Amino acid sequence: MRQRHIFGTVFTVEAAIAGAVFLAVLGLLAWTLLRHRGTRPPAAAERSERPRLEAYYVGALAAFAVFLVAWTAWQNHREHPAAGPRPLRVDVTGFQWCWTFRYPGSPAHRSVTGTCEGRDMPTLVVPAGRTVQLRLTSRDVVHSLWVPGLRYKTDAFPHHVNTLTLTLDRAGRWRGRCAEFCGQRHHTMDFWIKAVPPRAYDRWVHGGTATV
Amino acid sequence: MRRHPSAVVVAGWALLNGVLLAVLAVYGESPLVYWLWGGVVLVLALAAAAVLVSSRSAPDQHVRYRVPDRGAGAVPPAAAGLLLVALGFVYGHWLLCVAVPLLGVSAALAVRGTTARER
Amino acid sequence: MTLAPSTRARPDDSGRPVPPGGWLGWISTTDHKRVGLLTAATSLVLLLLMGVLALLMRGQLARPEETFLGPHLYDQVFTVHGSGMIYLVMTPFALGLGVYLVPLQTGAPGIALPRLTLLGYWLYAFGALTLLAGFATPTGAHAAGWFSYPPLADAEYSPGTGSDLWIVGVFLAVTGAILQGWAVLWTILRRRTRGMTMLRLPVFCWAMIATCLMVIGAFPALLAALTLLAAGRADASLFASNAWNIGYQHLFWFYGHPVVYVMFFPYLAAVAEVLAVFCGRRFFGYRGTVLSLLVFAALSMSVWGHHMFATGQAANDYYSLTSIALLVPAGVEYFGMLGTVLGARPRLRTPMLFALAFIPQFLIGGLTGIMVGTPVIDYHVTDSYFVVAHLHYVLFAGSAFGLFAAVYFWFPKVTGVLLDEGMGRLHFWLLVAGTNLTFLPMFALGYLGMPRRVSTYAAFDGFGTLNLLAGIGAALLAAGMAVFVVNVLRTLHARRLGRARPAGDDPWDGHTLEWATPSPPPRLNFPADRPLPPVTSFAPLLDLKRREGSRA
Repeated sequence: MRQRHIFGTVFTVEAAIAGAVFLAVLGLLAWTLLRHRGTRPPAAAERSERPRLEAYYVGALAAFAVFLVAWTAWQNHREHPAAGPRPLRVDVTGFQWCWTFRYPGSPAHRSVTGTCEGRDMPTLVVPAGRTVQLRLTSRDVVHSLWVPGLRYKTDAFPHHVNTLTLTLDRAGRWRGRCAEFCGQRHHTMDFWIKAVPPRAYDRWVHGGTATV
Repeated sequence: MRRHPSAVVVAGWALLNGVLLAVLAVYGESPLVYWLWGGVVLVLALAAAAVLVSSRSAPDQHVRYRVPDRGAGAVPPAAAGLLLVALGFVYGHWLLCVAVPLLGVSAALAVRGTTARER
Repeated sequence: MTLAPSTRARPDDSGRPVPPGGWLGWISTTDHKRVGLLTAATSLVLLLLMGVLALLMRGQLARPEETFLGPHLYDQVFTVHGSGMIYLVMTPFALGLGVYLVPLQTGAPGIALPRLTLLGYWLYAFGALTLLAGFATPTGAHAAGWFSYPPLADAEYSPGTGSDLWIVGVFLAVTGAILQGWAVLWTILRRRTRGMTMLRLPVFCWAMIATCLMVIGAFPALLAALTLLAAGRADASLFASNAWNIGYQHLFWFYGHPVVYVMFFPYLAAVAEVLAVFCGRRFFGYRGTVLSLLVFAALSMSVWGHHMFATGQAANDYYSLTSIALLVPAGVEYFGMLGTVLGARPRLRTPMLFALAFIPQFLIGGLTGIMVGTPVIDYHVTDSYFVVAHLHYVLFAGSAFGLFAAVYFWFPKVTGVLLDEGMGRLHFWLLVAGTNLTFLPMFALGYLGMPRRVSTYAAFDGFGTLNLLAGIGAALLAAGMAVFVVNVLRTLHARRLGRARPAGDDPWDGHTLEWATPSPPPRLNFPADRPLPPVTSFAPLLDLKRREGSRA
């Protein structure tokens, strides 16, 4: 859930700043339009260059940009820490138009797939609280694994493996989607990601069902 | 520098691109990107050189012009010829049988200088 | 001021004469005004067509599980809408505006490289026809999106001639744009009239310099990307290598980001001219704006990787640095616009309304642009409707409003008659309501998890209400555009009958040289018997009027 928390912080801060800037500009425009309604045009005396004022706002903008760059880069690095010891590895393969989840470390080499048609959506089962490393690739075109509830996505390329590390703090079920346009049934390429208590996961990975 | 401000603008812009490329090299990217952007910086440097050569041979601001309308009639057939050449990659190279004569007509029109006469 | 020795017929080499008003005179013209008009008019017609495609999409998405278009047709429609708006409408119109206006504003009697400019138009026109011809092929038009990533766009996953025609069409149109870009750039740099120093160029000309530098620097990368795609369609093994798949994305976005500013600067500058003229004062912070445009354009060459944050194969920190750095030059331009308007008493005519609406509306696009330039936000919202909303605020709520400001502003110069003010206002208000009703809900849709380019969605996704709102907004946009079309056609009809309201040479009290010549301007732009006013600053006519005012 690390991604969700970091996204929440950064999004809130940037949205608040953006909202304030927008309202300030809108307010200034409204003020200048309403102030002079019906009055005569002003005399032609104005200065079109104010170097000191301009230097001041360039400085302010630059300082703000430096803060934003540094702070968001730090948040980005916080979101991608070095992998902890022994994460659970799941091999994810996207294809036209569904997903396969393989558990290479599991005794039974469990694998989940589906057709993504109607209710036949595959479920990625993971233990809650444990770090999971998804090794993401594609069998055909570029897909993108997106879990909106976790505020995160990573592209799945053919002939290339991307890694997505996540930890789900609590048991629950989230919707996953394909975000990169991949052909006619792009819109149906959904899946579930389900976090279950570690014991239930152990039962499931040995061949049990995931109903918890 | 002051005598050729237009060349300075292009050269300065090319230089700014070069600086940004150098910063990217600090972060690291795939080799393709260096070739691509490096090539673009080179093209921009050549453009700056062309502007410089042109502005050295004539004043920065102009006082005399020629109305160059000679051979403008060659343009539409040339464009149609290029279209057919491109379509040749889709529908087969037999289209060159039409495209090449069309480009020939265009070349002839350009040489003969046929144009819509302006007032 | 010496104009060219007029084109006295030279019997030996001027060739067979054709009456200049005939169709041959139009298709082979070397008059930059005609080429500019052809380019702008063609792109306006295509704008209407792409708008119809957008209506089809909003119809398909207005309700969940709709089957009105079906996935295959929907994919063609969104591909052609996106490709069309970018390659065939906003870019060519911007360059067409430059082809028409730059020689007038710089006091030149013609454009540099007029035949190449004309060739650029024809390549663009033929490219547009080729791209659209895809709909007539048995498998339909191209359906892999405007950026057409391989391997999806290769011959295995996108079989059919429509995709080949898309490549040919885009290649030709972009080649045409590059030619026109060179011509406009060379005109500004090397064809300025006496007294028109670089720092007396109007803001619009400076924006065209920045635009054309991006065109000549970045557009060839698209030609390379298209060549790579065509090669991969001939030999599928090419895209069996990740290097070429990710390489295509680099090539594409190296073009694909600067083009956003090619579709933005000329409209921004049109807005700047309109703001200054209708406020009756100089644009605020001219030198700072000029510098910021050039820095903005250079930075725009370095940000392409922010479209690839989620690929896991890009230097995200660098692209985030440069993308966020854009807020400095963008902020300078905003201070320039605000400084021009604040404290003035603007005349609220139609062009000014569009220019004023541009300021807050584009700001939404710009501020959300900083958000999507932040990797931790982009990981969630990229490829979702949030990005669709963002890009439409930039290109429609921003650039298209600048486009209409330009159309209403320069229409009297181009045609000699004014567009109807009442219908202009109706057009404006319908467009403001429609734009925000269509695109504002999309931010929420993306945040809630609706991916872009889905041909439909399930009822239980909960996207229905917001999409319905967007559909209603699209209907308002259609109504607004219908008003615009009627306004233009009625005015042109009245002009042909001689009943239109004549505009005069300078209906708005303009600042730049194009308002110092008759409307429409003569073949060589400035009549020989009417000398150009002295070029004393970037607003020479304003200086002239003030001098006359103080003398009186």
